[in-house]
Amino acid sequence: MKRVLSIWLPQLPLDLRRRKGDLRAAGVFAVMSEIKNAWRLIHLSEAALAAGLSAGVSLPDARAICPELLTEPSDPVREAALLRALWRWADCLSPWVALDSPDGLFLDITGCAHLFGGEPAMAAHTRERLADMQITSRIGIADTKGAAWAMARFGDQEESLAPAGKTGAALAALPVEALRLPQKITSDLRRTGLQNIEQLMGIKRAELARRFGLDLTQSLSAALGHSPDPMSPKAADPVYAARMTLPDPIGFQADLLGVLERLTTSVCRRLAADGKGARRYYLTVRCVDTGDHLLHIGFARPTHETRAVMQQFRKPLDELKIEFGADWFRLEAAHIEPIQPFQISLDQHKQAENDTSKIISTLGNRLGFDRVRQFMPVQSHLPEREFVSVEAMDRREPVSWTLTPRRRPVRLFRRPERLVTLQAGRPPKRFQWRKSIYATREAKGPERLSAEWWQDDRGALRDYWQVQTEDGPRLWLMTYPGSAEPNWFIAGRFA
Amino acid sequence: MSVVEIINRRDVGTLASFTLQAREDLCLSGPVRLTKGRVHEAMGDSADMFAVLAASRLSGPIIWIGLSRDIGSLAPTALQDFIDPARVILTEGISRSEVLWAAEQALRAACAPCVVIELSNGPNLRESRRLQIAAEEGGGIGILLIHGRAQTSACETRWLCEASNAGENMWTWSLTKNRKGELGAWQVRWARFGTNFETNSETRGGAYEAGVIHLAAATAA
Repeated sequence: MKRVLSIWLPQLPLDLRRRKGDLRAAGVFAVMSEIKNAWRLIHLSEAALAAGLSAGVSLPDARAICPELLTEPSDPVREAALLRALWRWADCLSPWVALDSPDGLFLDITGCAHLFGGEPAMAAHTRERLADMQITSRIGIADTKGAAWAMARFGDQEESLAPAGKTGAALAALPVEALRLPQKITSDLRRTGLQNIEQLMGIKRAELARRFGLDLTQSLSAALGHSPDPMSPKAADPVYAARMTLPDPIGFQADLLGVLERLTTSVCRRLAADGKGARRYYLTVRCVDTGDHLLHIGFARPTHETRAVMQQFRKPLDELKIEFGADWFRLEAAHIEPIQPFQISLDQHKQAENDTSKIISTLGNRLGFDRVRQFMPVQSHLPEREFVSVEAMDRREPVSWTLTPRRRPVRLFRRPERLVTLQAGRPPKRFQWRKSIYATREAKGPERLSAEWWQDDRGALRDYWQVQTEDGPRLWLMTYPGSAEPNWFIAGRFA
Repeated sequence: MSVVEIINRRDVGTLASFTLQAREDLCLSGPVRLTKGRVHEAMGDSADMFAVLAASRLSGPIIWIGLSRDIGSLAPTALQDFIDPARVILTEGISRSEVLWAAEQALRAACAPCVVIELSNGPNLRESRRLQIAAEEGGGIGILLIHGRAQTSACETRWLCEASNAGENMWTWSLTKNRKGELGAWQVRWARFGTNFETNSETRGGAYEAGVIHLAAATAA
């Protein structure tokens, strides 16, 4: 007979903060989330519950009820990370552990319980160990996943056990919410007067399915063990990392490179075996006197070439000041992506592309990846919004540019430069800009542009003129129409 | 370690004795030619257009290096008349030595047939020799856009590029220094192939040649 243990962590976000030593979690504190366009409390501390607040109350209401309430938005990423850590920890209880996001775990404890002295002892042991880690938990044990889930959440005790083969009897008293159904179905059930599972079990399945849909009957039969509900423990993401601890600290460049080479070879071999490459590599160097130093390099495309990684690390390692030596090293590959192998000699185009990403990596690792950029087109009629530049590392697919019908300058100044009008006109007949005096020979315009209507500053209309000067340069003059004393600016220079 | 320090540390004798191999020319139009594997200087208002037109004759990425204030005003909307803006890789340095370092790396990498470097003042003899050696290794063309004064340098040619007031896409290019040939000055006009740009951009296999450079008039220097 299969036995399943479900762990429910009802206060995971609060536990997360308590574990961090956040003193607020002990007072009147709540974690909130944006639900239906309003910030609502989702997890409350005991003091907050005692103050008369409850989950689901909107933030303004809660403030009115309890002015000293402290709140914080929920942090799903960190909560998920904590849950994953607990998922790995649960290996000590059972070899077959599945995640039940966002706040629970399933353990297949078939044949495990006797190791802890029986099921009640195992449940108590689990809760105790979690409490040691400052994590609140409730536990349900039953024959099926659904029943264990229901016992953990809706059981009358912190540790609720449904004896083997008596799932139906244990579930009978629980409310219909315990079947883990969508909100709509449970409220429909309640509206028809069906309060608990016992009442549901008394009705023919076909009738239930006809009235409430197949979800209900499937959920019910899975919970009662009439239909299979397998547990699928997901394999942990492989971590591509290598670590080296030395008996004595080292400090010479050649030694450091030797260590780095061993680490890189090990990590890259594993990546290559899985047909994957990494875009980032992090090297932690623990110096005996100054602690950890994190060096990182990036690549424009995923790679698992030992030589390339070594080459890019050479520079940051060179700059690292190691006085008394370092004795602990860890290299980790991040941003893992699959790479398709290709023949180097036959595909010249691919080879050129590869060389390009190599130079982007070299430049980016030294100057910073935000400084190596490429242009991307944007749909807009405003000259300064027609394009953006993005990090060359990030750009994956080639982009297509469509030719604008309007003439635009090759040099477009981010901030138009003010000119000094020497001889007025529209545009000025003579003007001074950047210490040179220009005379207008021909002018084409105005091209009137208004700001995009959805932007805030849509009042600002702008007139542009293409001005051919006597000396040669074609300039793009700009003014704001309607102003009493026209100010003229140079917006750009044409080819 | 800054580039300048490296330059000072290197033995100048080896730099001086470095011999450049003969290379083929990139022909912009008629006698307007740029030798590959060399660094060329361009000055004047329309120096950037000189670089863009040279790049339009080559295929592959164009690495455009400079300080933020210089390269920040480059607008791809107008560039696409001449080149595919997706080819441009903007590289921003925060100091002259960073710009020169990036320029050397880019020239040395064989992937970029055209590297454009914007500098406020021209490179001196040492800096230009280093760039020249890097270009020789990579085989691409380096074009230095000099906004301020030029100095005595080891660059192959120096061009003075001014816009002409006669109309759009017309310039005067004067060759004011040439290590291997004669000087000259040309009136240059760029004309687009046909009227429908789209049809031409489809034949993008080799160079993205959207137009042709005409020499309107040549005046002896």
